[in-house]
Order: sequence, then C-alpha cells, then structure tokens
Amino acid sequence: MRNAAHIGAAYVILLVMGAIWRLMPFQSIPDVVALFAAYLGLTARERLAPAMLGAVILGYLADLLGGTPRGMMALTAAVVCVVGHFVHARILVRGLSATVTFAFFTGLASGVFVLTIRAIYGMMPAGLWTDLPVLFGSSVLTALAGPIVFRICRALDARFARSYRERDVALDGLLP
Amino acid sequence: MAAASRHVSFTMNVRRRVLDYSLAGLLLLLPALILHANIKDPSNLNKLDQAVLRVSSPLQLAVSWVVEGIGGVFNRYVWLVDVEAENRELRKENAQLARELSELKRKTIDYELVRRLAALRTDPKRQGDVVSARVVAATLNPYFRVGRMRVDAGNAKLQQGMAVIDAYNRLVGRISRVYGSYADILLAIDPQSKISVFVPRTGGRGVLSGLGKHDSYACKIAYVARGEGKEDKTLRVGDRVVTSGLGAFPAGIEVGKIVHVDDVEYGLFQKVKVEPSVDFSNLRAVVVLLSEPPPADPNRNKKKVSARAYGVTPY
Repeated sequence: MRNAAHIGAAYVILLVMGAIWRLMPFQSIPDVVALFAAYLGLTARERLAPAMLGAVILGYLADLLGGTPRGMMALTAAVVCVVGHFVHARILVRGLSATVTFAFFTGLASGVFVLTIRAIYGMMPAGLWTDLPVLFGSSVLTALAGPIVFRICRALDARFARSYRERDVALDGLLP
Repeated sequence: MAAASRHVSFTMNVRRRVLDYSLAGLLLLLPALILHANIKDPSNLNKLDQAVLRVSSPLQLAVSWVVEGIGGVFNRYVWLVDVEAENRELRKENAQLARELSELKRKTIDYELVRRLAALRTDPKRQGDVVSARVVAATLNPYFRVGRMRVDAGNAKLQQGMAVIDAYNRLVGRISRVYGSYADILLAIDPQSKISVFVPRTGGRGVLSGLGKHDSYACKIAYVARGEGKEDKTLRVGDRVVTSGLGAFPAGIEVGKIVHVDDVEYGLFQKVKVEPSVDFSNLRAVVVLLSEPPPADPNRNKKKVSARAYGVTPY
C-alpha cells in the first residue's frame, strides 16, 4: 500500500508537471521520478524488491506519460532505486542542505544514466555538448524539488506508520 | 538448540535476501528488456499502455485546463508587467511624436500666414497702412464659437472702428474697443455688427450683420431689394458677397457666400443668409487696416424729427 501511495503521488505530480512545464521558459525539467525512486531505495531497509517494483512501475508510468521509449525511465528508476538502497547505510538524508545535495546528485546520476542509454542506442542527435547544459539545469531543478518531494514522501510514510514512533521518525526523515 | 535455531534463522535470512536480490535483479532486467524491445518502435503500445494512457489523458486535460487558467492569469497580470511598461513607454513616445507633428503643422500654417501677411503689407493695391496682429484670446460660448476676440497689435495705434481682415483678404470685423496695444474685434458675425456689403453678380447692396446663433457663424444681409422676377437682380444661393466700400472697409473684401435666399411674396426686401468665408474658430492672426475710419455722425445722439410732408395730409 505504501508503495502504491508513493506511485500515486508521483503519478499526480507527473500529471501536474506535464501541464505546468510546457508553460515554463526553460528546457530543463526536475527529475521527480528519480527522486521518488531514490526515496524508495533509501527507505527499503530490509527488502529491496518491493521498492524496486514501485520504482519500475513509476518509471514505466513516466515513460507512458512523458513519451520516452518504454523502459527507459523504468530502467533508470530501478537503477536509482538500487543505488539509493546501497547508499542508505552510509548517508543520512536529513535537513534541507543534505536533501538538496542528495537530490542534486540523484538528478545528476539519473541524467547521466539516461544519457548513457541514449548514447548506447544512438539517440543523441544533438550531441553531448547540447545535452550537458540541460542535464545540469535538470539536476539543479531536481535539487530544488528534492525537499518538496521528500516531504511528500515522508508525509505518506507517516500516514502508513504502524505506531506513533514510526510516524514521528518518518516525519523526521530518519526511517520509513 | 539455540545454535541450530540461529543457523535456521540465518539460512532463512540468506534465502530471503537472495530471493529479494534475485527479484530485484529481475526487476532491473525487466525494464532493460522492455527498453530493448521498444527502442526501435516506441509508438507501439500494448493494451495496458493504452489503458493507462486512456485514464491519464482526461486527467492531464483537466490539469492542463486548470493550469492554463492559472497560467493565463499569470501571463496577463504578472509576466506582462514588462510589456505594460514598454507599452506605456511607446504611448509616451507616440504622444510626444504627435505633439511634435502638431507643432510642425502649426508652424507650417504660421509660416504661410506670415508670408501672406507680408504680401498684404507690400500690396500696392492696398490703400493705407496695415498692421498684422496676433489673436491672443477669444470669447468662447458653450459651443466654442467665437463672438469677440482680443488682438495684440504691438505698438501700432489702433482706433475704434478700424477694419480687420484676415491674411487671405477676407472680412473679419472691426475694432470695437482699444486698450493699449490690445483691442477687441467686433466680428462680422456679431448681431451688433453692421457692414455694408455688395453682391457683384447682381449689383445689389445690403447691410451684413450676424445672426448670433450659437451653432453657426451665419449672417444675414438686410435691405437687399427684391429682384421682382428679374434674373440678374435676384440673389441666388452661391452668390459671392464682398464689402461695398462704404464705411471703414475698402471695397472688394470677401465676405462669404449666400447659402439661403427667401424671396418673400410681400415686403420690399429679400431675406438672405450668408456663410462667412473666414473660419472664426481657427483665426490666429489678422490684419488691421490702419486707415482712419470715417468720422462718426455728429448728430447720432440727437433726436431726429422728419420734415413734415406737406400735401399728403388728409383733409
């Protein structure tokens, strides 16, 4: 249920962003899918597979809504989720600056991975140098969106908490 | 026992972990396979994709509708602030250019006026001296029509009764009051004004005075004899009217054109309406004829008694 709630929230945000972002004057877009996937990976303490399932579904939805080749964002989200899972024991994403920094690197990693896939499949007609500013802009926007997305995720976790302690801990950003 | 239990627990944990990672690996492989299968033809959608998109599209439409509504407000009221400032700047510039254009037009008219006034001063046919004067004020009625106006004639010696014409040799009026270098003009369209006029085509004479209407500059000519059916004696609409030469005005100054003739069956005179040639609302400079006006009637204030007409008294 928790994963479904995260997927639902991400889906709504993707819908809203799809409507909003075409009115914006810049090309770069915050990578919300990567943020959700990273959060799912970070909070998958014992079992990685459910979190990855959530990330893959989320990525697949992003593929459908965004018009990217099916599987691209799903694969990216899965990879980000795995990376998030493996770094969760080493970093503590808590507080604004840590969240922003983590979100920036999440966006950067996600963007680099997408670029790599595109390069492998020969889908970079404009060349790497044209995509790099977009990648950087996207990472910055992801960093800015990070605290909001993580707050939403933590609020959802708090809703699914089984005890007051779990709820408070989830809201504090310590544990799911 | 405890060791065995720990061993079982460890084994289960390892199994669970292996299963978990295996599933995770599969979940990692799955999108890779999907991507590989779809990368060549991304437009090919299966039933699930179509279902998801069918659900998503109306939602996206609704969100777009709401966001565009809000975005429209943003575009109109927030992001157009610069455009509004630019618009204001352009309006200001436009107003300034319009002012400059108006000023230039006015200068062109002034130049033409000055040229004509200079030509009038050196006109050998003009008897006596003339002085050009600037109109500095006008008495405006509610319809913005001019009744009287004040002229600045500099140091020229103006006298009451002097004739005033415009730069195109058209009748304006006569000076009614003089104070210093300023004077009031009693315009020809004023009901108090009486100027002897002449219709060149018929040779008829009459006295021009204003009708005093607020909505037009029309004048009337009084005491014009009826034509009695004679074509060359009957006034017509369009006949030109000039000054007759009697009084302060030299002969031949253009007055206007007849616009209406009411040739009544009874009475001695025709009722004639004249439209002046001068546009009094746009009069900016005039010419004062400095030749002295004819002396006033010395007996004007005396009561006149007509001589008795002998021979017609009834018995």
